[in-house]
Amino acid sequence: MAKEPVAVTIDHVTRIYKNVKGRKDVVAVDDASFVVNPGELVTLLGPSGCGKTTTLRMIAGFDLPSKGAIRIGGEDVSALPPNKRDTATVFQSYGLFPHMNVAENVAYGLRIRKVPKAEIDERVKRALSLTGLGDYAERSPGRLSGGQQQRVALSRCLVVEPGVLLLDEPLSNLDALLREQMRVEIRRIQKSLGITAVYVTHDRVEAMSLSDRVIVMKDGRIRQIGSPSIIYEQPDSVFVAGFVGKVAFFPVEVQGTDSGYCACSIRGKTVKAGSRAPEVAVGKPAVLMARPESLRLGRPDEGIVDGTVRQNVYLGSSIESFVTTEYGELLVQIDDPAGKHVAAEGERVSVSFNEERVRVLPANAE
Amino acid sequence: MFTKDKLLKFLLALAVFAVVDAWVFTTLRTSMRSNAATVRQNALVLLAKSAPEDPGLRDDWLASVSTSLPGGAAVYLVPSLDDPDSYEVFAADDAVLNLWHELAATEDAQKGLESAYYFENYASPVKAMLSNTQVRLFYAPITDEAQGELLGIAVFMAPETAGSGIERLLIIFALGAFVLFAALSGVARFARDSIVGYSVLVLSALAIVFIIFPLAEAFRLSFTVDDKPSLAIWIDALSGSHLQSLWGSIRLGIWTATTSTLVGFLFAFVIHRTSTRGKKFLSAIAQMPVISPPFSLTLSIILLAGNNGLITKQLLGLQNFSIYGLGGLILVQTIGMFPIAYLTLAGVLQGLDATLEEAALDLNAGRWQVFRTVTLPLAVPGILSAWLLVFTNSLADFANPLLLAGNYRVLSVEAYIQVTGRNDLGGGAALSLLLLLPTLTAFFIQRNWVSKRSFITVTGKPNLKLVEIASPGVRVAMTAGVWAIVAFVIALYGTIVAGCFVKNWGIDYSFTLSNIGEALSRGKEAIRSTLSLAAMATPVAGLIAMASAMIFVRKSFVGKRVLEAVMMMPFAVPGTLLGIAYILAFNKAPFLLVGTGAIIVINYIVRELPVGIEGGVASLRQIDPSIEEAARDLGADESMVFRSIVLPLVRPAFISSMSYTFVRSMTAVSAVIFLISARWYHMTVLIYNFSENLRFGLASVLATTLILIVMAAFGLMRLLVRDTGAFDKTITR
Repeated sequence: MAKEPVAVTIDHVTRIYKNVKGRKDVVAVDDASFVVNPGELVTLLGPSGCGKTTTLRMIAGFDLPSKGAIRIGGEDVSALPPNKRDTATVFQSYGLFPHMNVAENVAYGLRIRKVPKAEIDERVKRALSLTGLGDYAERSPGRLSGGQQQRVALSRCLVVEPGVLLLDEPLSNLDALLREQMRVEIRRIQKSLGITAVYVTHDRVEAMSLSDRVIVMKDGRIRQIGSPSIIYEQPDSVFVAGFVGKVAFFPVEVQGTDSGYCACSIRGKTVKAGSRAPEVAVGKPAVLMARPESLRLGRPDEGIVDGTVRQNVYLGSSIESFVTTEYGELLVQIDDPAGKHVAAEGERVSVSFNEERVRVLPANAE
Repeated sequence: MFTKDKLLKFLLALAVFAVVDAWVFTTLRTSMRSNAATVRQNALVLLAKSAPEDPGLRDDWLASVSTSLPGGAAVYLVPSLDDPDSYEVFAADDAVLNLWHELAATEDAQKGLESAYYFENYASPVKAMLSNTQVRLFYAPITDEAQGELLGIAVFMAPETAGSGIERLLIIFALGAFVLFAALSGVARFARDSIVGYSVLVLSALAIVFIIFPLAEAFRLSFTVDDKPSLAIWIDALSGSHLQSLWGSIRLGIWTATTSTLVGFLFAFVIHRTSTRGKKFLSAIAQMPVISPPFSLTLSIILLAGNNGLITKQLLGLQNFSIYGLGGLILVQTIGMFPIAYLTLAGVLQGLDATLEEAALDLNAGRWQVFRTVTLPLAVPGILSAWLLVFTNSLADFANPLLLAGNYRVLSVEAYIQVTGRNDLGGGAALSLLLLLPTLTAFFIQRNWVSKRSFITVTGKPNLKLVEIASPGVRVAMTAGVWAIVAFVIALYGTIVAGCFVKNWGIDYSFTLSNIGEALSRGKEAIRSTLSLAAMATPVAGLIAMASAMIFVRKSFVGKRVLEAVMMMPFAVPGTLLGIAYILAFNKAPFLLVGTGAIIVINYIVRELPVGIEGGVASLRQIDPSIEEAARDLGADESMVFRSIVLPLVRPAFISSMSYTFVRSMTAVSAVIFLISARWYHMTVLIYNFSENLRFGLASVLATTLILIVMAAFGLMRLLVRDTGAFDKTITR
């Protein structure tokens, strides 16, 4: 299945649903632009209703942009119907043909393309063995487990060697364990084939673990594009910071923004935060974000803010300690807790953070 | 996908086509007009030759001209012997005379007279008004036989009507060609899925030509007398006697609906809410009358209780008993229509969660209290729905009253008599339109109000529990009632079968086989044409139903709801009206279809589509759209998706819609009775004819044959869509 991978370009795409019954129009996607490089897996991440699925459906051709253009491998496909596009979609609900067995399902796209019978058999076999379904060719999809159905759906797409593989929340109907397995498997297959892929999910862990790059969307607009580590460690907004992981916020006053560091004051103390979002400036409202793993507990009056441990949750490799402070409840992660002193529930503590690891964000914008 | 460029090109193409279309149209019209003018002039010349030499016959000739030229007239001029420039003028009436005096002085008239004087014909370009008709003048010499001497000059005032019918047709075709071109090229240019675009076009054309147009024609012609707008038909239709028939229909409908709902509820309750034995059998018998051909139940009632009925005459020796009339009608309609109520109420009672009744019992309510305060209130929307459905059916019923009404008058039969007996199509249309009023009202109440008030909750879990809320005594009484009705239904069917083998029912009950041979030989042609018409309509109706269902469920386009409403309309329109509308609309160009088999096939398709579409829609709603999207995504175009994915998935709905169409077409009567011809006859009409002529043996044989065919069709359907359970599991989301 060697084929030159192609790029996907979303060029100022807007999708407006006209609402006829006198209600307001809905802007599902608002002036989105991004490029998926050849062979790259990019994830569209966001809460439901953020426009990620609409974007995917526009790439597949099930929906048309109201404005802007979509290019696949340099060709403008904005007006082409789905059957004329070099994409294949793995659907959330699989969309397997119930009146065909597994092999027939996988062969469908090849039959449409009028591939010779012998070659169809050969390629179907190969696709099924790639996804570990070799023994299930004759089964009816209704008699497969969810994970197996998912693999059939994936094989059915891969067998036609599409330029772009589209995955619409493919794992949301699976249980947790299977989801983890399939996640790894999808990534393995995608990498081994070097196929360009766009993946839609609302699950941040899925997005982080799968993607070359993540696009975070909200209310139809793209909020940030970057590698999983950038998105997690250096979000540009309160929304992105909160959406991709647990985080604590402290209101701060920005004092200086020289070089990479950002000096700011919090409760009369001056802090030199490790990084800041580009929009942060002196005089503008700002917050300081800290991930649970950047927070530390100490004796009262020794940290930034004092509080009371409300609850400790023991997770083995770490303990999550919930501390009630005047900034609300802060989650502090204590790694490798064995042999460490852990403040008991009800104890007074102070919370401080690793200044290198915290980041200052604009407070008002989401 | 509108862009300015595309729109401009489209408009340009339209303009070019319009010019060509107009050019062809005007050329044809001109040549046709000149042709028509020549023909007319030749006729006038002949008319002039027929003018008598004898002055005594002159007035007769003038009078005869106005009949051979409707709306026109002639003036007979006799030149005076002394002065060639003055004439003696004769005309049929003063209006003509006055008009001539007005015109005589004009230059054109002088020219005409001069031509005639020299034995030349002259067609004047001048138009004049003769008592509200536009006429053209034509001057012709009147000569003696040898054509040597000028006896006089005929001036014809001929109305310009000839050829206008054909011209109208030409306009229709020219406009039609333009609309067709605009629609097709518009779809090809702008629609992303041109196949869907074309399908919508075809469906819209179907709906306009075969549903809206005939009904509109029926409506229009009910306001037209002699091609002029008039209220005369409606004044007559709304006169006392017809209003009485309307009331007759409604009264019958109320009675039948009430008794049918009661019987239907009894059956549904006994079968689905008690633990009686033989439920499958009871349910099968309760559904039987739905598929029985028209006239068959009536026939059997007449055999049992008619003037020479087995029970009334032979067994009881009644003299003054008559089954004909309201009572007999209620009886036969109830037997024929309680299955509708049963099927509706069975769904309701099955859907009611027995836990509710259990909860009521648990809260110490007595059985009767449970029924009164829980079961019955929950079933009320279903009961109303059943009542309205039967009511609509009873109003539209035509076959039973036709044979059994006696002196009782109902509108559907009245409309039929108006058309066939008095040859008054407009009157028939008006009467059947009158019937539409209560029918549509009931239909819309049922559709938009009652059916939305259902309490049934689909939990997906089969309701296996059964709470006996009937006390043993009540249960025994109800079960006995149900079995009595079942016995009666079986007896009715048994009577039809028995009728096949009886020599002369009512007089000579000896056994014979001769009916079978005679009926089959006399009915051979009818059986053949009935079967072939139904067989032609069946696959087409099935395919159109599934394609429409797919479009209605999955696609969005402008005017979808309107199209859907129009396509569903024939469900509520009485067959009598549709039949009359079809003969009114399709007995003239451009759709000259009356007398062909096509009109019957189209009528079947149009009438049975709504049920097929509903089935297809219900079954498509169960199917996850991503299945079709996956196929599209893998490269299949719309038609491929329909063939390889949708059709196999909706197969049960597809097959049942086809078998429904087949059975309904085999047992059609109310519309088809207007549309049959000598070549395309229908078995049901033949059954009616035999019954009318008291050939009950022959009617029984045909009715039995029809029942057997219908049952075979249903059996075949059951076989084809037997087990789909495992399959359905993966279709649904």
